[in-house]
Amino acid sequence: MLKQIKLLTKLELCNIYNLNVLRFSKNSRRKKKDLSVMMLWLFLIVMLIFYVSNLSYGLLRLELGSLIPAYLITVASLLIFFFGIFKAGNTIFRKNGYDILCSLPINRTAIVVGRFLRLYVENLVIAFLIVMPGLFVYAWFLKPGAAFYILGALSILILPLVPITASILIGAVIMGISSRMKHKSLAAAGLSVLFVLLIMYGSSRLSIMEETITPEMLRELSSVIMGTLEKVYPPAVWLGRAVIAGSFMPCFICAGAFLAVFAAAAAIVSIFFHAISQSLCTTSARHNYELKTLKKSSVLSSLCKREFRRYFSSSIYVTNTIIGPILGCILSGALLFTGTDVITKSLPIPLDICTFAPFVFSGIFCMMTTTATSISMEGKNWWILKSLPLSPKSVLNAKILMNLLLMLPFYLISEVLLIPALKPETFFDGFFLCLIPAVIILFSCVYGIAVNLHFPVLNWENEITIVKQSISAILGGMGGVFLSAVCAVIIFLISQEYYALFKALICIFILGATALLHKRITAPDAWRRYEL
Amino acid sequence: MLTIDHLTKHYKGSNKGVTDICLEIEAGDIYAFIGHNGAGKTTTIKCVAGIHDFDSGKILIDGSSIRESPLLCKSRFAYIPDNPDLYEYLTGIQYLNFIADVFNVPARIREELIGRYGNEFEITSSLGDLISTYSHGMKQKLAIISALIHQPKLLILDEPFVGLDPKASVILKNIMREICDGGGAIFFSTHVLDVAERLCNKVAIIKDGSLIASGSMEEILKQGESLESIFMEVVKNA
Repeated sequence: MLKQIKLLTKLELCNIYNLNVLRFSKNSRRKKKDLSVMMLWLFLIVMLIFYVSNLSYGLLRLELGSLIPAYLITVASLLIFFFGIFKAGNTIFRKNGYDILCSLPINRTAIVVGRFLRLYVENLVIAFLIVMPGLFVYAWFLKPGAAFYILGALSILILPLVPITASILIGAVIMGISSRMKHKSLAAAGLSVLFVLLIMYGSSRLSIMEETITPEMLRELSSVIMGTLEKVYPPAVWLGRAVIAGSFMPCFICAGAFLAVFAAAAAIVSIFFHAISQSLCTTSARHNYELKTLKKSSVLSSLCKREFRRYFSSSIYVTNTIIGPILGCILSGALLFTGTDVITKSLPIPLDICTFAPFVFSGIFCMMTTTATSISMEGKNWWILKSLPLSPKSVLNAKILMNLLLMLPFYLISEVLLIPALKPETFFDGFFLCLIPAVIILFSCVYGIAVNLHFPVLNWENEITIVKQSISAILGGMGGVFLSAVCAVIIFLISQEYYALFKALICIFILGATALLHKRITAPDAWRRYEL
Repeated sequence: MLTIDHLTKHYKGSNKGVTDICLEIEAGDIYAFIGHNGAGKTTTIKCVAGIHDFDSGKILIDGSSIRESPLLCKSRFAYIPDNPDLYEYLTGIQYLNFIADVFNVPARIREELIGRYGNEFEITSSLGDLISTYSHGMKQKLAIISALIHQPKLLILDEPFVGLDPKASVILKNIMREICDGGGAIFFSTHVLDVAERLCNKVAIIKDGSLIASGSMEEILKQGESLESIFMEVVKNA
């Protein structure tokens, strides 16, 4: 069995981050494109390392250096867990290659362990990138003993085990439940969103508990933060303390416990693996269709309906893009019930919430647009749109329209809740509260398509690689958030009497930029220009 | 109806592709395009269908260039690929309705044609099911119906008989003849040389991206016993 695990893990890891394709591809243009995507990733990694190093240096300057390992281990664990909820189920129970593996004389535990180890390696990279720079900064300034380095390396190696296990188990439960339902993808998407919202609610309850912080506690900031981290994820604090103290025994106990949890999860999942995978692969066909009257639709309407069906057929696509709009509605509702006073008091500088709320909500709504990956999601079906008499403009407009229609109900609910919650004083305050998010959402949808046209990936095997790991998913999501932040900073910097004027100018500028971008990307030669 | 004039297409960073392909497909032709695996059949067909751009040459459909007037050209032909990767998240009828909407087919005509071809290929009862539940052959049948739904004058088919059951193959051959009798034309690639010999009036043989023989089936067959023996001979000597 060990040999099987080794072989399957090798197979799983062979094309991790598309490296095998990059290695053997003879298409020099594609290689260049892949390399440029890798350079972008490298840039993002450098930014992350820079951010973590600065954060760690800041903690050192505040004489809170002892917090660094526990803090970074908690952050890395939470990130691995949250990203894992959307991804783990699909990675473990993916249909791709299931039939071939089942026909081979391979133990199902070996298949499960191979897929667990793939997730482990992928997340080890995240753990390394987040924790390593912090430990390096700590070591550089405080010159700890050899035990720090050994235990620091060990903590990086073991930290992904528990969050991965938790996300795999949640993923397995979601897949297990949805596999019994008719609309499997939609059920999986709904359950994933529900889990994330429950976790967010739980974490918000944790922060509410911290309202009891007293001035005395503030004087002992280190113990307050440790206390909070311990509530969020206790093993991170145990590990962090052991690394700082150079204590081997607690670290080894943690490592043993983490490994035991990981192995136990692999054993549990392998029991249900066959049943869940089979249920997911089984499709129901009734063979009882009788030809009815067919309705004719316009090309745009037909393309848009198809976009919606594509969207709701993929649980990972839905969960990744619907969280932002749902959060926007929940926050609007929370604002209506709690009032603006709570937020005003918690801000470090006095700000008029009504002025800045449109930018905050725009950022939340545009965290991830469907358009940013909608061309890539066509995958092997791209030939259909290419061979039909459809202009790039019709195809891309349908994708933009679908994204706008998807956001519309969330936007309306959010605005209906925000207006009574914020009680705008003037007509213009209310007007811009509605207009700014609408304009930024429109820009984000068009920008998402533009990014995906530049970084399309059509030869994928697993939707996760497109929705969660592609460069267009990351850059597409950043566009609206970045634009909202820039606009908020501009408004913050100007005098209050010019707020309305500048907001109007911002809207006109964004609408103009959107129109120009739309014209450029929907030109008749778009497919040729973007080599699609 | 279809003119391929000195078509050259090479994949960037690779020496694969096609060089200087010239073909003329006229109304009433059933034109077979044969060659070994990797010879360039699919590349040529994808260039004709407007899926791949090409380096040089011209592709004209009814006198219009696929490069300059892609929408006009695409509205005149139907294309079926060698591997029918259809929208698995749609039901068969949703897919057909989508294609009919794109080609602006009136509701009455689409009902009539889906009814006719659905019954002929014995797929009507499955049209309400998701395409993901279809076998390879059923997907191929659905792709064929979707190609016929807007009554194209030109059919471009890449290995159309792969995956079809014997009855469906016979029906497809009859439909191909019917289209040609009505003034249309068929251009298709195949590895089944018997079918090409019996069905087609013209044939072209491609090897390593270049045409090595083309012309009417009668002329080609004069060179040997059967299309199979001629193919082997020509490919060996080229």
